[in-house]
Amino acid sequence: MGQYLPILALGILATLFALISLIASRLLNPGRPNDAKNAPYECGIVDQVAPPERFPVRFYLVAMIFIVFDIEIIFLYPFTAVYRELGSFGLVSVIEFAVAVFASFLYVVANGALDWGPLKQVRRSGMMVTPSRTSTSTIRRVGQEGREVHVGDEGVAA
Amino acid sequence: MEKLLWIIPAIPFAGFLFLVVFGRRLGDPGAGWIATTAVGGSFLAVVAVFVELMGNDAESRMLHQSVFDWIAAGRFSVGFGLLADPLSVTMCLFVTGVGALIHLYAIGYMKGDPRFSKFFVYLNLFITAMLMLVLGDNLLLTFLGWEGVGACSYFLISFWHEDPANASAGKKAFVTNRIGDWGFMIGTFLVWTTIGSINYLDISEAAHSGRIVGGTAVAIALLFMVGAAGKSAQLPLFVWLPDAMAGPTPVSALIHAATMVTSGVYLLVRLNPVLHEASWANDVIAWVGVITALVAATIAVSQNDIKKVLAYSTVSQLGYLFLAVGTRNYVAAIFHMVTHAFFKALMFLGSGSVIVGMAHEQDMRKFGNLRKYMPITAGTFIIGWLAIAGVPPFSGFWSKDEILAGAWAENKVMWALGLLTALLTAFYMSRQVFLTFFGTEKWREPVTAVHHEASGEGVEESTAAENAHSNDHDHGSHLTPDHTPRESPWVMTLPLVVLSLLALVAGVLNLPFSSGTKHLEHWLEPVVGSHELGVEGSQLVVLAVVAVLCGLIGIGFAAMVYLRGKGSPAAIERAEFAHGWYIDEAYSWFMGGPGRKFFEAVSWFDRTVIDGVVNGVAAGVSATGSGLRLAQTGRVRNSAIGIAAGTVAVLVYVVVRMSV
Amino acid sequence: MILQVLAQIPTDGVTAPLVEESTSRLVTPRIPWSYLTPQLILFLGAVIGVALVALLPKRLPKYLSALATVVLAAGTLVSIVPLWGRVGNAREGAISAWSGAIGVDRFGLFVTALICLAVLVTALFADSYLRREGLDGPEFYLLLMTAAFGASIMAISNDLIVLFVGVEILSISSYVLTAMHARRVTSQEAGLKYLVLGGFASAVLLYGLALIYGATGSTNLLQIQVFLSERVLTSDGLLLGGLGLMMAGFGFKVGAAPFHMWTPDVYQGAPTPVSGFMASAVKTAAFAGMIRVFVVGFGSAAELWRPIVFVMAVLSLLVGSIVSVVQSNVKRMLAYSSIAHAGFILLGVHSATERGTSAALFYLASYTAMALGSFGIVALAARRGEHLQKLSDLRGFATAHPGLALAFALLLFAQSGVPLTGGFIAKLGVIGAAVDQGDWALAVVAMITAVISTFMYLRIIVSMFFVGGGDHGEEPAGFEGPPVNVSWTSMVGLGIVVVATLFLGILPGTVKHWSNQAVVEMVRDSGR
Repeated sequence: MGQYLPILALGILATLFALISLIASRLLNPGRPNDAKNAPYECGIVDQVAPPERFPVRFYLVAMIFIVFDIEIIFLYPFTAVYRELGSFGLVSVIEFAVAVFASFLYVVANGALDWGPLKQVRRSGMMVTPSRTSTSTIRRVGQEGREVHVGDEGVAA
Repeated sequence: MEKLLWIIPAIPFAGFLFLVVFGRRLGDPGAGWIATTAVGGSFLAVVAVFVELMGNDAESRMLHQSVFDWIAAGRFSVGFGLLADPLSVTMCLFVTGVGALIHLYAIGYMKGDPRFSKFFVYLNLFITAMLMLVLGDNLLLTFLGWEGVGACSYFLISFWHEDPANASAGKKAFVTNRIGDWGFMIGTFLVWTTIGSINYLDISEAAHSGRIVGGTAVAIALLFMVGAAGKSAQLPLFVWLPDAMAGPTPVSALIHAATMVTSGVYLLVRLNPVLHEASWANDVIAWVGVITALVAATIAVSQNDIKKVLAYSTVSQLGYLFLAVGTRNYVAAIFHMVTHAFFKALMFLGSGSVIVGMAHEQDMRKFGNLRKYMPITAGTFIIGWLAIAGVPPFSGFWSKDEILAGAWAENKVMWALGLLTALLTAFYMSRQVFLTFFGTEKWREPVTAVHHEASGEGVEESTAAENAHSNDHDHGSHLTPDHTPRESPWVMTLPLVVLSLLALVAGVLNLPFSSGTKHLEHWLEPVVGSHELGVEGSQLVVLAVVAVLCGLIGIGFAAMVYLRGKGSPAAIERAEFAHGWYIDEAYSWFMGGPGRKFFEAVSWFDRTVIDGVVNGVAAGVSATGSGLRLAQTGRVRNSAIGIAAGTVAVLVYVVVRMSV
Repeated sequence: MILQVLAQIPTDGVTAPLVEESTSRLVTPRIPWSYLTPQLILFLGAVIGVALVALLPKRLPKYLSALATVVLAAGTLVSIVPLWGRVGNAREGAISAWSGAIGVDRFGLFVTALICLAVLVTALFADSYLRREGLDGPEFYLLLMTAAFGASIMAISNDLIVLFVGVEILSISSYVLTAMHARRVTSQEAGLKYLVLGGFASAVLLYGLALIYGATGSTNLLQIQVFLSERVLTSDGLLLGGLGLMMAGFGFKVGAAPFHMWTPDVYQGAPTPVSGFMASAVKTAAFAGMIRVFVVGFGSAAELWRPIVFVMAVLSLLVGSIVSVVQSNVKRMLAYSSIAHAGFILLGVHSATERGTSAALFYLASYTAMALGSFGIVALAARRGEHLQKLSDLRGFATAHPGLALAFALLLFAQSGVPLTGGFIAKLGVIGAAVDQGDWALAVVAMITAVISTFMYLRIIVSMFFVGGGDHGEEPAGFEGPPVNVSWTSMVGLGIVVVATLFLGILPGTVKHWSNQAVVEMVRDSGR
C-alpha cells in the first residue's frame, strides 16, 4: 500500500486547505450584513425580472444530432483502418449500427428537428378551456398543470 | 368406461352453467325442461355404468377414475377422483332417477313463479353436488359435495325469502348443519393423521389391515356420526328438517326426503370398515337412531300441517336407517334408503299436488274427501301410505322388516322400540290419509269449527319457523268454502304414477325368501361385506307377522278415530307431541339465556384481549410506517443520498469482510 | 489486449468455435443468428418502426402502432417456442455464443418470454390509455420495443459489458417512457428523477464492473467463474468491492431497499401502463441480470455476496410492506408493494440454489401478471385526467364497475398470496427455498411482512367494495367523475393476466416445470 501514500497525503492536504480557508474567512471578516449588501444587483441596479435562462430547444436538438454523428464517426474511423481484417463480421456489425443511427436520424428529421422556419402553433390541450371561466381559470399558470397539491404523499414536492 | 365417469356429474353441472347464463331467457317452462333433460341424461349415464358393473365379476365391480391432482402440499395430496362401486352407483341411480322425476314434477309445480329459472339453477347445482358427494373417492371430495348440497339446501329452503320466516328457516338449517360439519372435518383430520390418506380405498385397506383400531376407530366413528346426524337430521340436531319444509315442495321431496338427508347414512355405510372396528360407537349410532325414530314418530302424530307430518316421518325413517347402520345391517340400511326415497318422494309430491289443488292450504284439518276430486293423487298417495305403514307386499314392508329383524338379533329393546315406532308410523300416516282423502269436505264448513280443535294452538304461533310452513307459497292460502279442487297436470301426476309403481315393487330388490332373491345383498357385498342376520327362517316369519300386525293395528286405530269418529283426537294429539317435545324451545331458551352469556364473555375476551394485541401490532406497524415515510421526501438529492448511503453501507461490509 | 482475450475463448457451440479466414490476421466470432431470433425481431421491429414513422404520412389509423407491437411481441413469443426445444436437446444444448458474450439457454428464453408477455399486455392497456390522454403516437410503442430489446439482451448476456449495454438500452427507454406524459408535470418530474438517479446507479454498476475486471481479468462470466474456481485469492478486496458495487447497482434496478427511494416517486408519476411495465418487465430483466451475474458468475463466491442480499431482502420486505400501509395514494401503495415483492424474489436469489433461482423465476412470472393487471386497472379507473389518486377515490368502485373491481380484488389477493392464485405458489416457492437453506429468519420475516402487506391490499379492496362514511364522513360516498370506458383491448389484456394468475395458482405445474428447466439448463461452463 506504500505507493498510495502520496495520494493520501495529497487528499489530506487538500481537505486541510479547504477547511483552513473557510475557517479563516469566517474568523477574519467583520460580519456586518445589511439589506443592501445581501440584495442581488446588476450594474448597480436592482433587477426587476429574473434573468432569462432558456434557449430555444432546437439548439439542443441540433447539438444532440451532432453528438450522435460524432459517435458514429468514432466507430467508423477505426473500422476503416481494419475492415479487411475484420471481414464480414465487422461489416455486419457496422451496418447494423449505421442502420440504427440512420433510422433514428430519419425520425428526428421527419419530426422537424432541422426545421428553422417560423414556429408552428403548439397543439392546445382541450382540457384547459372550461365552460365556467373565471378570472383565475383563464390565466394559465405555467408549470402548475398536472401538479396535485395534496397528493397523498409528499412524493412530488420537489 | 372408467375414463368417462366424470360425465355423470358433468351433465347436471353443464345444465347448471347453461341455466345460469341462459336460464332467464328460456324462462318458464323452457328452463325446467333443460334442467330435467340434464338430470335425465345423467341418469342414463349412471345406468350405463350400472350395466357395465353388472357385467363384471362381483370382485371387480369397481370403476375408479382420477380426473386430476387436486391438492398437493407436501405429504398431503388429494386427487380429484371418482369412485363407482355398487354402493355409490346405487345411490347415484336413485339420486338421478328420483331427481329427474322431481325435476319434471317441479315444472308443473313452479309454473308461474317469478324466479322459475333460478329454481332449476339451484336444483341442477344440487344434483351436481350430490353426485360429487356420492362419487368422490375421498373424504375431502365428499365434503365438497356435502357443503355443496348444504348450500343448495339453504338457497332452496329460503327460496321464497320475501317471507322472513322462510329465510330464518334456511338459516336454521345452515347453522345446525355447521355443527355436523364440524364433526365431519375433525373426523377427516383424524383419519389423515392416523393413516396419512383420506382416500376411501386406503381407509378401507387400513381398517382391514388393523391400522385403525380401538379408541381411534371409536373416535372417528363418533365424529362422523355427528356429521351424519347433522345432515340426516338425527337427535339432537334434527330440529332443522321440519322447518326446512318452508321450501317449495319439490325441494322437500328431493332434498329433504329422498337424497340429501340420506347422505349422512351413506357416509357411515361408506366408512363401514372403520365402523367394524369401532366397538361401542355402533351402539351409540343404533340408539340415536331408534330414539330419533320413536320421538319423531310421536311428534308426527300431532302435526296438522300436511308437509310437517311427512317431515317428522322422514326424521323417523332416517332413525331407522341409523338403527340399521348401528346394528351393522348395512344392506338393510341401503335397501330402506332406496324404498324410502321412492315412497317418501311420492308422498311429498302427492302432498304438493294436494297443496296446489287446495289453493296452497296445508292444514289437513281443512281437507277431506279429496279422492273424489284428485283420483290420481289420492291413489298414488295411498300406495305410498301402505308402503310406509309396512303392509305387504309394498316395498316398505320388506325393507323395514329387515331392519327390525337385524335389531332383534342385536338387542331386543331396540327391536321393541322400533316396532312401537312402526305402529305409530302406521297410525299417523293413516291419520293423514284419512283426514286428507276420506271423510267430509271440511273446507266447506265454517272456519271457526276448525280452528279451536287442537290444544296448544296459541303457542304454536310463537316460533317464527312454525309459521313458515303455513304459507308454502308466496301468496299463501286462498282456500274458500266454495273451492273445488282439481287434479294436477300430467307433468305432476306422471312422476307420481312412476314413483308409486316403484314404491309398489321395489321390494323385489331384496326379498328374504332365499339367497337367490337377495339381489341387493349380493350386489353390495363387495362394499359392505357379507352379513349374517342371526335370525332363523321361522323366527323371521314370526317377526314379520308381528310387524304386519302392528302396522294393521296402527291403521285400524286411526280408522277408528278419524273415520268412525270414536275416541277423541285431542287425547292422542298431545301438546308435547305438537311442540316436538319442546326441544326447539329448549334450544332457544339456552341460546337466549346461559348460552348467550357465555358467548358474550367469549366475545368480550376477543374484543379486549385478542383484538387489543392485534390492534397494538397494527398501530406499531402504522407508526413505523409513518416514521419511515418521513425519510421519503421525494427530493432527488435525498434519494441520491439514500442510494449513496446504501452503497457506502455495502462498501463498509466489503472493508470489514476483506482479507487484505 | 482485448482481441487476445477474445482469441482465447473456446466457445461458439454450433459449428467449429473459431473460424480462421484466409485473408485476415484477426479472429472474428461467428454469430448464430438463428438463436437470436427473439432479440432480432425486437431490434428490427424497433428500427424499422422508427424508419416507417419517419417516412409514412402522419395520419395513419391510431390503432396501427399498438397492433404492430402486439404482433411483434406475439411473434417473438412464437419464435421462442422452437428455440426452447433446440437449446434443450442433447445435441445442440445451451450454448454460449458471440465469443461467449451471450448465453443462449432456457433461462434467457424464459425471461425473454416474460418480457414479451409484458410488452404485449402493456400495449393492450396502453392503446386506450394513450388515446384517452391524447398522447397517441407511435413513439410510446417504439420505446416499449427498445426497452424490451434491452431487457432481453440482459436476459441472455453472458458478459458484463453486454449486460451493461442491455441495462442502458432498457434504462434510457424507461426514462423516456416515464416522462412520456409531456403535459403532466408529475410525469416529467418522475422521468427526470429516474434519469438522474438511474444514471447514478448505472455509474455505480459500471464502477463495480471495472473493479471486477481488475480483480479477475475478464468481463466474461464464464471466464470469471473459471478464474474463481481455479485460484484462491490472497487479496479479495478488489473483487469484493466490485461485487458490492454491482450489487448496489442491481439493487437500484430491481427496486430493493435501501436503493428503492426512486420507486414510489417514479411509479406514481409515470403514465400508469408504464408503471406496470416497469414493475413487470424492467424488474424481471434486472433480476435476470442479477441472477446471471451473482448466482452463475459468482456462484462459487456466494458466501461473499449472500449477506448483502440478505440485508437487502429483509429491508425490502420490511420497508415495502410497512410503509405501504400508511400510504394514501393507490399507485404509491402498489409501488411499495413492488418493493416488498422484490424482497420476496431476493429470497430466492439469496438461497443461491437451483431451487431458489427457479422459485425466483416463477415469482417473476406470477408477479408480471399481477403487476400488469393491477396497474392496468388503475389506469382504467383513473379515467381522463387521472381522477384516481387517493384511496378514497376508489370508494364505490365495486358498485359502479363490479367486473373490474372483482378482477382488481383477485389480483390484489393474488399479490398478498391467497391460495389458488399465482401469488401463493410463488411465495411458497421462495420461502421454501429459503427454509431449504436453513434461513429461518428470512422465512419468518417474509411471512410476517406478507401478513402486513395483506392489510394494505385489503385496504384497497375494502375501499372499493364498501361505500359509506369511512374515516371522513363528509367525503362523497359514491364513485365520482366521468364513467370508466373499458375498451376491448383492455379487456383482452385484463383477461390474459387474470387467467394467468389463476392458472399459475391452480395448475402451477407447467410453468413450474419450465422454470425448473430454465435453471437446470443454464449456460454454466464454457465447455459446451
